[in-house]
Amino acid sequence: MTLLGIGLGIILLAGLLARAMERRSGIADRVFRWGMLAGCLMGTVAALLSLAGPDAAAEPGSGYGLDPLSSWFVAIVLGVGSSIAVYGTHYMAHERPARAVGAAHLFLSILLIALTGVVTARSVAAFLIAWEVMAIAAWLLVIFERERAEVRRAGFVYLALTHVSTLALFGMFAAWGGDGSFSALAAASGQHRAPAGLILVLGLVGFGIKAGAVPGHIWLPGAHAAAPSHISALLSGVMLKVGIYGLFRMLVLSGEPPAWWGWVVLLLGLVSAVLGVLWALAQHDLKRLLAYHSVENIGIILMGLGLGALGSAYHHPAVALLGYTGALLHSLNHSLFKSLLFFGAGAIVRVAGTREIDRLGGLARTMPRSAWAFLLGSIAIVGLPPLNGFVSEWVVFRGLLESGTTAGALRTASVLAAGLALTGALALACFSKVHGVIFLGSPRREGVLRPGAERGLVAPQVALAGACLTIGVAPFLVVPLAARLGAGMVPGPPLPDALAAVTSPVSAISWVALGLLLLSVIIWRLRATAVPQTRPGPTWGCAFPGVSARTQYSAASYAAGLLAAFGVLSGTRRTTGPAGLQVHSTDPVIDSIGRPVWDRLRSAALGLRRYQTARLSWYLVYVIAALFGLLVYLWLVAAA
Amino acid sequence: MSAFPVIPLLFLLVVLVIAPALPGIANRTKSALTGRRGAPILQLYSDLAKLWRKGVVYSRTTTPIFRLGPIVSLAATLVAALLLPLNGRAALVAFPGDLVAFAGLLGLGRFVLVLAAMDTGSSFEGMGASREVTVAAFAEPALFLCFTVLVLTTGRLDISGMLGPSLANAWPAAAPSLVLAGVSLFIVTLAETCRVPVDDPLTHLELTMIHEVMVLDHSGPDLAMILYGGALKMALFGSLVVGVLVPRAHHPVGLAAAELAVALALVAVAVGVVESVMARLRMNRVPQLLVAASALAGFALILLLR
Repeated sequence: MTLLGIGLGIILLAGLLARAMERRSGIADRVFRWGMLAGCLMGTVAALLSLAGPDAAAEPGSGYGLDPLSSWFVAIVLGVGSSIAVYGTHYMAHERPARAVGAAHLFLSILLIALTGVVTARSVAAFLIAWEVMAIAAWLLVIFERERAEVRRAGFVYLALTHVSTLALFGMFAAWGGDGSFSALAAASGQHRAPAGLILVLGLVGFGIKAGAVPGHIWLPGAHAAAPSHISALLSGVMLKVGIYGLFRMLVLSGEPPAWWGWVVLLLGLVSAVLGVLWALAQHDLKRLLAYHSVENIGIILMGLGLGALGSAYHHPAVALLGYTGALLHSLNHSLFKSLLFFGAGAIVRVAGTREIDRLGGLARTMPRSAWAFLLGSIAIVGLPPLNGFVSEWVVFRGLLESGTTAGALRTASVLAAGLALTGALALACFSKVHGVIFLGSPRREGVLRPGAERGLVAPQVALAGACLTIGVAPFLVVPLAARLGAGMVPGPPLPDALAAVTSPVSAISWVALGLLLLSVIIWRLRATAVPQTRPGPTWGCAFPGVSARTQYSAASYAAGLLAAFGVLSGTRRTTGPAGLQVHSTDPVIDSIGRPVWDRLRSAALGLRRYQTARLSWYLVYVIAALFGLLVYLWLVAAA
Repeated sequence: MSAFPVIPLLFLLVVLVIAPALPGIANRTKSALTGRRGAPILQLYSDLAKLWRKGVVYSRTTTPIFRLGPIVSLAATLVAALLLPLNGRAALVAFPGDLVAFAGLLGLGRFVLVLAAMDTGSSFEGMGASREVTVAAFAEPALFLCFTVLVLTTGRLDISGMLGPSLANAWPAAAPSLVLAGVSLFIVTLAETCRVPVDDPLTHLELTMIHEVMVLDHSGPDLAMILYGGALKMALFGSLVVGVLVPRAHHPVGLAAAELAVALALVAVAVGVVESVMARLRMNRVPQLLVAASALAGFALILLLR
């Protein structure tokens, strides 16, 4: 805990120095980069030590403290945060002197501290304070380019929804009872001020919006697209996980969840996963596409979480353990590969100057290192061996299928493995589109590329890609940690057998990954001996003379067939005009729920404008009236 | 695993060797039924040998991914072969959830081939890639529903367990479900191996192709690897179908080997018969066929869950 505190102090100091030394940007950047790196790594080491060490009970009394669950998420926040800070310093250097880069760096360090605070809080007040600081700091970063109207709008939608989420959490904690420390919350479970079901639903609403589960995802695509790329990586890779952490913490505090709650979370996860990837497939903007993929991956995490809750409720510890372990692992893995992909998106923005997928092409020639890193990230997010995404999806798959070996209602959950398989196959379609259209083929547009702009942005990508590959090839490094943490979540006595069942087949994954790499090398060597001669030529145009870069398959045409097969669910609208076919991607939830609700709220709120007189005397009257009302309330409570 | 796994290894070698004969058998069946003489059954072997010796033309648009595609794809298919219990008892590598690895490896093989197609910058190959992933997106849920049927019948999470002795014991009780799952798996096999009614390997017009148009630019050893990988995939999916429909865990080794060879040939014949009696489906009908395959497996599940 001391080490973590020192680390956070260094992070804050680095942010303050970056702001204070704005004039001398070269030194400020260097101080910020190394300070953040040192602080984040110290915090990560502290979290890892606490994870690997014996299960220590959280220190009582203090507002913040580390327990295994907190440590896991602190490692995610600060481990990924270190790469984000390094990347961000290089990425933002281009924004000087037009924008306030020093302030953005300061907000970034505050945001990282607040995220750490949320996952280490030990009392309701500490939690909510950190939560609100996190929400505001993230908002300030989202509206970094606030001269653009769409950025301001995305920032506003985010701000509104994050407060809906906060409100739900206030409601949840108020209904819970206890004196406000988490230990008191745990003790109060079972004798709440409100029905236990209400508390679980409020928690699901509050944390679900933060995590970006459908239909609470509507703030997510806009905010991710509007923010600078390293902030998108932080929002998507790290901040969404805080919502997941909240759900985990709620389960730890409230004990064994009821079965219906598990089913709700499992189905919510399935819906988020399938719809998220389907809507991602329809996007033309790279960062919006990646944002929708976060919805998909949060769905996968929620499926694991729901399965864990179901396993606990139906007393099948093996299923529960697999579900929780899968959710924790996928939280870690998603934070790694999604940040990697957003880093790639940022590098593309800097080099090519656009995020429109259909205006790009052939970038592997201009930025080969980013192209390889992005390829690894793509394989990881699709959930294919030998990358880390496969490991966690494998655990969740096992949990779903394991439920098929039980008796009773839980057996039905095994059917959902097909839903997860559909998600994976759609993700494959989506990322073959993204990588194929952006990095391969020929450039679709004549334009100035700035290969030099990639400099400094590559090293963080390589680091994250290395982490993804390491976990993919050597999952035994992290799976036992997650499994032990998951075992702590399952109510009842310790489960050595179930724990061993989760962790022992992990070495087989290593063998598969190594076998794949080894065989590839062998075949590559064999083939090198076979080829007598190679010669370059043009791409075979099937005897069609008019082949050009403009006749290449575009992202829109690539996805059109698949989207058409899903009909209205895909949210695409086709219009044909003299200029040809156009495919517009929309978000059905935003169009059919978000906008109408907002319009109603807005027109209702306009009625309040009469009382907004902008005259101090009237405002004082309101304050006095509110005071008086509170006094009357207290008197009524005391009288009753 | 104390002793060296000689017998599973032998079975693997047999499958690796006979795989290229399967497309030959399917095509020969088709020729016989349509009154033609047709190419020799062993045609693919000579094609592979010839292609392996040939030179290669690389498009100037391509990057190293184009060369990596066939290599990684073949390696992934070979590793996937290690996970299947070809002798009806146990695979060389078996662990809980290995079916996810099986699907993941084949998915990786598809992913790199699709990227190699996109690497050429050809509109035809982009079209083929797009169709390939579309078909796969609908085949994958059907495959997993079939696996779920097997999990529910046997209570095992590894393919070796799902297709091994416990399946043979479960057959009498769960026969209707297993037959439905077998049929569903056969449809998935048709889709995964790019045969009629999903794709037609013999079509001559690029616009109507799926898999063939995706690999247009590959030549020489690269094309040989793709063709061999395709044939191997047919053998793997065929042996899955055979594993579900003909549990041979209690049969002696020699008999099991003969059964596997004959059954694989029969699967190839069935593919040929399907190709002779029906035309390929319109492209936008293909998802419907695969959803129907999922529905078959879904019915099998309902029978088991009731």
